[in-house]
Amino acid sequence: MTETTWLIAGAWISAGLTIFLFSFLYKDNPFFKIAEHLYLGAGMGWWFQVYLYNIWKPKVFEPLAGGDYFVLIPALLGLSLVTQFIPKISWISRYGFTFMMGYGAGLEIPARLSTDFMSQIAGTIKPFSLMASMSGFDILNALIVAAGTICVLFYFFFSVEHKGSVKKISNIGIYFLMIYFGAAFGNTVMARFSLLYGRFDDLYTSSAASNFYATQLILVAMAAYFLIHSFLGKKDQVEEAH
Amino acid sequence: MKETLLKFLKIDRRWIFLALALILFTPIIKPIGLPNKTISKDVQNAFNYLDKVPAGSFVLFSLDYDPSTRPELHPQAEAALRYAFKKNLRVGIVTYIAGSTGLIQQIIEKVPAETGKINGTDYVVYPYMANALAAMTQMASDFYGIYDKDIDGRDARSLPVMKGVRNYKDIPLILSITGTSILDYWVAYAGDKFNVPVVGGVTAISQPGYGPYLQTGQLKGLIGGMKGAAEFESLVKEPGKGTSGIDALNLAHIMVLLLILTSNIILLVVRYL
Repeated sequence: MTETTWLIAGAWISAGLTIFLFSFLYKDNPFFKIAEHLYLGAGMGWWFQVYLYNIWKPKVFEPLAGGDYFVLIPALLGLSLVTQFIPKISWISRYGFTFMMGYGAGLEIPARLSTDFMSQIAGTIKPFSLMASMSGFDILNALIVAAGTICVLFYFFFSVEHKGSVKKISNIGIYFLMIYFGAAFGNTVMARFSLLYGRFDDLYTSSAASNFYATQLILVAMAAYFLIHSFLGKKDQVEEAH
Repeated sequence: MKETLLKFLKIDRRWIFLALALILFTPIIKPIGLPNKTISKDVQNAFNYLDKVPAGSFVLFSLDYDPSTRPELHPQAEAALRYAFKKNLRVGIVTYIAGSTGLIQQIIEKVPAETGKINGTDYVVYPYMANALAAMTQMASDFYGIYDKDIDGRDARSLPVMKGVRNYKDIPLILSITGTSILDYWVAYAGDKFNVPVVGGVTAISQPGYGPYLQTGQLKGLIGGMKGAAEFESLVKEPGKGTSGIDALNLAHIMVLLLILTSNIILLVVRYL
């Protein structure tokens, strides 16, 4: 097959699978099921080759073939996780998990403490030491950030009963959270539209004459399927009624 | 009257899907050319940081997104890479998401050819690495400890593009475009720890979550979603898929606003009239 033929086949497969998956929005159908199962199967196969060719081959097989036997240690620790599937020897997996937990905790805890905890506290306080050189807007911004941080922390502080002034502060915290959720939801809607636009853009590319009108023909075929299915469904209902 | 109005609220949602599909498809077939007039501070900062890197420097692009976030992140990556080449920067591309490899290949087949950049001399693509944290920590001491070969199997040390690059000290900017939390790792393990300026490109969904890092300056700039891509494209004066997507996004947002307004007005009318 030439490269052009592959490209055309790719356009048909891409347009077909997209339309099959979108067809679920109208109603469930066998084409949607085909696309769904194909996605899962192809995904599994793809991941298998990724692990084999991008991890096992360059990180284990090749060093071993070159006489570097140290890679056996992490490889065996990794393989020990698979023993989870064999109850009698599943205890071996603890060695792998122990290494992962120790390694992960050692890497993550100091970095997260510094990046997400200390730096954030410092970032909230720091502007107050620079107020003389800040514009009015920046001062207001710093005050809002500090007030928001304190109020939201109050909302998540459960060791004191939320009543009186504590309740008032935590209620303000709820408003800050609501603003964040609103912004996040608005952005989520925009992101979903962007993704939909991306698929439609690809469908448009597949609809070109050079791709033998893949999108149009598949759409027409799907519409015909739904029409025939609906017609046959009604006919069956009439027969059952008789 | 009330019954008629209530019928609108019970409209079959498939009509809304169809309307949305038509609205998003129309500008693809016939672009309207709605302007994108605002440039956010974070995108401007992202551009400024890339812009002020001296020509000939080595910048690291971490492109970690798969087809599920391609419409938002691919235009960002294309625009940033195009500008880096325009500025005559040397570029190294790494990825920690296996699904990115095909998309990186797409970019590499397209962008360097536009500016006559040569693989190995002006840019280099490294293979997918499974453990981002291990790679990031290793790069701090010795880049080649983790990336000894490029994606074509060439010895990384001997490539002209890598001349003078040994660890983070030799990298003046990291640009992480991702639909995952890998940007957080870059901030924590390269930005905060080794003072490498980190600029991000993320999906619109993740964008609000990076506010704290931007506020503290841990993240130097941020390109968010397709809107961010459009802004970045207008800054680098290279309109692409981000810019063309603005028409569709604007129309879809108008439709959603109208639907929200209409249904709320109907609810008020039904309740109080």
